[in-house]
Amino acid sequence: MASTRRLALAAAIAMLNGTACSSLGVEPWERDVLARDEMQLVTDPVQASIDDHIYFSKEASSGGRGFGGGGCGCN
Amino acid sequence: MIVTRAQRRVARGFLAASLLLVSLLPAVAAADDSAALLDISKYRGKVVVVDFWASWCGPCRRSLPWLDGMQRKYADDGLVIIGVNEDNTSEAAEAFLQNVPVDFEIVLDLAGDIAREYELIAMPSTYVFGRDGKLASRHLGFKTAKQDEYEALLRGLLDTGTAASERE
Amino acid sequence: MAATDNKRKRRAGAPQVPGNIVQGLAAATCSLLGTAASMPVAAEEEPQWNFDTALLYYGESDERVQDLSFNVLARRMFPDDKILSLGLGVDSLTGASPSGAIPQNEVQTFTRPSGDEVYPVAPGELPLDDTFLDTRYALTAGWQQPIGRLYTGSAGISFSTEYDYTHAGVNFGISRDFNKRNTTVSLGAAIARDQLDPVGGAPLPLAVMGDLGDLSNRGEDTEEKDVVDLLFGVTQVINERFLVQVNYSLSDSSGYLNDPYKILSVVDPTTGNAIARTPGPGMGPLHEYRFENRPDQRRKHSVFLQGKYFMDGKVLDMSWRYMTDDWGIDSHTLDATFRWPLGERSWLEPHLRLYTQTEADFYRASLPAGELPAYASADYRLAAFDAFTAGIKYGRRTSSDNELAIRLEYYRQDGDIPGDQLFGDHSSDVLYPGLDAIIVNLSYGFDL
Repeated sequence: MASTRRLALAAAIAMLNGTACSSLGVEPWERDVLARDEMQLVTDPVQASIDDHIYFSKEASSGGRGFGGGGCGCN
Repeated sequence: MIVTRAQRRVARGFLAASLLLVSLLPAVAAADDSAALLDISKYRGKVVVVDFWASWCGPCRRSLPWLDGMQRKYADDGLVIIGVNEDNTSEAAEAFLQNVPVDFEIVLDLAGDIAREYELIAMPSTYVFGRDGKLASRHLGFKTAKQDEYEALLRGLLDTGTAASERE
Repeated sequence: MAATDNKRKRRAGAPQVPGNIVQGLAAATCSLLGTAASMPVAAEEEPQWNFDTALLYYGESDERVQDLSFNVLARRMFPDDKILSLGLGVDSLTGASPSGAIPQNEVQTFTRPSGDEVYPVAPGELPLDDTFLDTRYALTAGWQQPIGRLYTGSAGISFSTEYDYTHAGVNFGISRDFNKRNTTVSLGAAIARDQLDPVGGAPLPLAVMGDLGDLSNRGEDTEEKDVVDLLFGVTQVINERFLVQVNYSLSDSSGYLNDPYKILSVVDPTTGNAIARTPGPGMGPLHEYRFENRPDQRRKHSVFLQGKYFMDGKVLDMSWRYMTDDWGIDSHTLDATFRWPLGERSWLEPHLRLYTQTEADFYRASLPAGELPAYASADYRLAAFDAFTAGIKYGRRTSSDNELAIRLEYYRQDGDIPGDQLFGDHSSDVLYPGLDAIIVNLSYGFDL
């Protein structure tokens, strides 16, 4: 039915208006997995430091890792 | 399963109402919440705080004891706090509440439908409705530095209502 | 299940503030410890100190370098989401490192960097310089806090000292969230000033190794090196269980970039044998060796890509880093860890790291007599080699909710000297025997 199709279109528009402007990502309430310790970009900062120091001493490259992002996304 | 034409019409009507709400919230949330997932119309005349939290969210966990304190302090003045939990399992929410018990109403939003309806953009989020049922304020995040400010806002809303209801 | 879930989440409820640059850049500028991107928070949310401690043993085979170190990272959160980090590290280094000279069929004698002693090396042995007994102390401090709702800023300092080397640095970072915090853009900068006081003084570029007591081939007593690091990164949440990060970093070093203790053997281009010399009145080298010289500038570009994927309790972490610099070195690093929960309190984490690098333009396995380039170094760390690390880590949450872990790793380097650098009957395996090391790391994290 044409009216159903119109409603479906209206639904799609309403949903797009209501959801994130980016197509990638999750809703703020869906970050339980991302909030876990083991899902952080650097799970063990001391170990990362130790390793970076070892490889800096034995190889010609160092660093590269960054910071920021992921996690709970709270506050 | 929709079979009869009448049922189809009802379904379409319901869809239309939901779409209207989705696109108009939060401005109109309280005005037409008969179709809302979280029914706060029964609290008309009171100041309602709807707080979205989860056990995996640090600032949310910090906010619960404070909200509990507010509920105790202003319950007689007409404050109602509803904590909408966004954990994925009821066990996670219950286990958390065993460690941090609170006195206010907890609503489980396992599928996130209420959060979606409120168009949540941050965790935690707090929506404050005045005694008239209209949205008075929305806070994103929870900062202990702003506790006094939040409390002052609640007191302000509680005071206006009291005067109005006394007139009745 | 629920109770454990809650306990894990109690410690796992990181304040989820975006990361701190001290971790990324302090490490890049060679300081020992960085601070955390996020920190574990207790259910009670009482402000308290969180400590991460680690004891490390690094040991190479064949009496080469051994390192024992102790590290502590202390973090405390202040309302609201402000984090103070303090780090301390102590390293005790012993053992010997290849000096850059190559094995010969006869006895070789070398003068120590101090000029006060000579040491012999048996025929066929790889010359190692064992004046590496030293203790290094490193300190870092960092502060991180939200700026407004969507920005996070950080600042930190790093400092380290050992008997012939001092490092001091500052770092800054800022990040902003977009798209309901699904996207985070970060910018970081670190500046460091290092000072070297080589034993005996810094050797003049490509100067010949002198006899006992002869320090005429030395230049300054103190040399300096400046490093500037810049980082631009984007972190993106792909879906509920998948997170990726892409970073570009630039690193500029200038000043004294040599290793003052590394030498090259001068060899006959036909026979490959070291050129004999007559030592002075006292004692001294029996053959000709020259101290290395590197350019006084180095610019490195790195691209880093990391992904973390959650699969039903298990986490796969994979990363790739590509580095290219103006010394002609290109490298690739592939790193993968897989965290496997064992029951409710412990986990196992196998780790594999693959590394490959090309040689520096001025890398020379040895110097043919008569050739004196502007820059030359036989430091194996600038040679072309492949390396891999294979390890396993076991972690356990104790009954008091503290975390204990033990890690065992094996690191191996295999070099390959290009044919045009092999003279006479030189063979790549003999000149560059590679490196074998084991790593044992114990860590303990607790709250006070």
